[in-house]
Amino acid sequence: MIYVENLKKEFKKVIKDPGLKGSIKALFHPKKEIITAVDDISFHVPKGEILGFIGPNGAGKSTVIKMLTGILTPTSGECRINGKIPQNDRQNYVKEIGVVFGQRTQLWWDLPLTETYSVLKEIYEVEESAFKKRMAFLNEVLELDDFIKSPVRTLSLGQRMRADIAASLLHSPKVLFLDEPTIGLDVVVKDNIRNAITKINAEENTTVILTTHDISDIELLCKRIVMIDKGKNVFDGDLHELKTKYGQMRELTFETDTRDVKNVLSYKEHFGFADDDFSIEADGSLVKIRFNSAVVPVSEMLSYTLQKISVKDMSVKEADIEEIIRRLYKQGV
Amino acid sequence: MKTVKRMLRMHRIFVAQELKRMMEYKGDFIVGIIGFLLGQFFNLLFLWIIFRQIPSLMGWSLEQLVFIYGFSLIPKGLDHLLFDNLWSIGHFTVNKGDFDKYLTRPINPLFYVMVEKFQIDAFGELIMGIALICISLPSLVIEWSVLKIVLILVTIPFATLIYTGIKIATAAIAFWTKRSGNITYMFYMVNDFSKYPIDIYNNFVKIVITYIIPFAFTAFYPACYILTGENPLFNVGITVVISVFIMCIGIIIWNKGITAYESAGS
Repeated sequence: MIYVENLKKEFKKVIKDPGLKGSIKALFHPKKEIITAVDDISFHVPKGEILGFIGPNGAGKSTVIKMLTGILTPTSGECRINGKIPQNDRQNYVKEIGVVFGQRTQLWWDLPLTETYSVLKEIYEVEESAFKKRMAFLNEVLELDDFIKSPVRTLSLGQRMRADIAASLLHSPKVLFLDEPTIGLDVVVKDNIRNAITKINAEENTTVILTTHDISDIELLCKRIVMIDKGKNVFDGDLHELKTKYGQMRELTFETDTRDVKNVLSYKEHFGFADDDFSIEADGSLVKIRFNSAVVPVSEMLSYTLQKISVKDMSVKEADIEEIIRRLYKQGV
Repeated sequence: MKTVKRMLRMHRIFVAQELKRMMEYKGDFIVGIIGFLLGQFFNLLFLWIIFRQIPSLMGWSLEQLVFIYGFSLIPKGLDHLLFDNLWSIGHFTVNKGDFDKYLTRPINPLFYVMVEKFQIDAFGELIMGIALICISLPSLVIEWSVLKIVLILVTIPFATLIYTGIKIATAAIAFWTKRSGNITYMFYMVNDFSKYPIDIYNNFVKIVITYIIPFAFTAFYPACYILTGENPLFNVGITVVISVFIMCIGIIIWNKGITAYESAGS
């Protein structure tokens, strides 16, 4: 369905010294630097899959999405969706895709929401009967009825995002690109949007590519993730695989009456942890330790702790996805 | 044919959308119309005062001057009315990354940009142009023929597209430079020279507005044909050729520009 091969995007950037002087200098003698925003990225997405496309801010996620949607032209490499190269046959290609950029809106700002849908109906040449059916369906999954007659500028962020997602689905696209669709939304709206994505994916076998910083989005929606950092592919595989491969972090939590635990227990010196492999937080009597169980086994950590201090209510937890991703973002792979 | 039909339909829909948008804010809409009418009235008054001071200029009579001036406003007004949205490309659309929208819809992006908005202010130019022509006509001796009327009707859309082509070409520069509003403005302002007979300028200006930024073909040359009936091959023929040529250059630069478009971070 979606084939991305060795995709690369470079931007030219003029380097300026700070201040007005720097700007004037750059006007006459521009120093140019080439920045590689996306560097040799390849992945495939089969039909009907929801792919989580993640990475820290500035990793190049949006640049990849913009190349896949035909907005940007790749410097080299190729993407092919439904057998089409977006840049070559843009007008026909975009009929088959839906795009939502969470930070922008494609709705007609000054007019009631319904007006947006009736114009989009014309733009995408949706038949009247299909349009009615579609609107009924979108109304049901995204609950648009309450605000469909209000001008777009008066909508809340949550309403606007639901309206934007509906707008991208009006022409029943085969592929849906969602760039941060849950950004800034409350829990209820997030749930609503996630349900809508799941439902559309299940009923119409729509392929979805989703970028997000909300780990719950990933856990609830995606089986598979592609993670990029500094323009490079750093992980491509199942969520489950990510856990086994990088999930060696454990969280040890206990309560103790001992004061000044951080000094009494010198884990770092004792075991020789590297900075990334260990952290400790103490909040009153509650102590939370994160450590890499590949460096020091859980049993050794426990026996060392119990030797030094008296402890009540102790627990060891596997690291969750969020913890794994935090580590990956911090250090790269 | 099907494409043309669809384009016309889309155009109608965008115009309707734009009208609805204007009427969404009633106060602004009404004050806008009042301001517009006042502005046009004073414009006409001002021109009348100026032209009254000039009995003739380099062999052109007052009526002929008024006619050329009035005629120059027709193509300018038509372009202004229909394709004003091109200005926004160089001013902010590309710079802010809002051009993304045009690329993700199944309509030709250039067509979409051109027809998305329309500029009601342009009716001012059109009304004034027609008014000046009507004022000057009774005192002018013009030989009318069917051929002449056909040629005039052909010239007006082509003259209009000279404006449009120059706007497309200069707006497209923004795809590389991120902003090009001032470049468009610089080129566009040269059109002021086209409102008067070309004989009053020195050779440098003549060459510029005939061959380099050929605004003389949007008004003076076609108007000259209407007034004198001379040189239809040059006055009308070259207008058509130049118009097609400029539109082609504009479209080539535009299409190349789209591949250089960099969007903006989000």
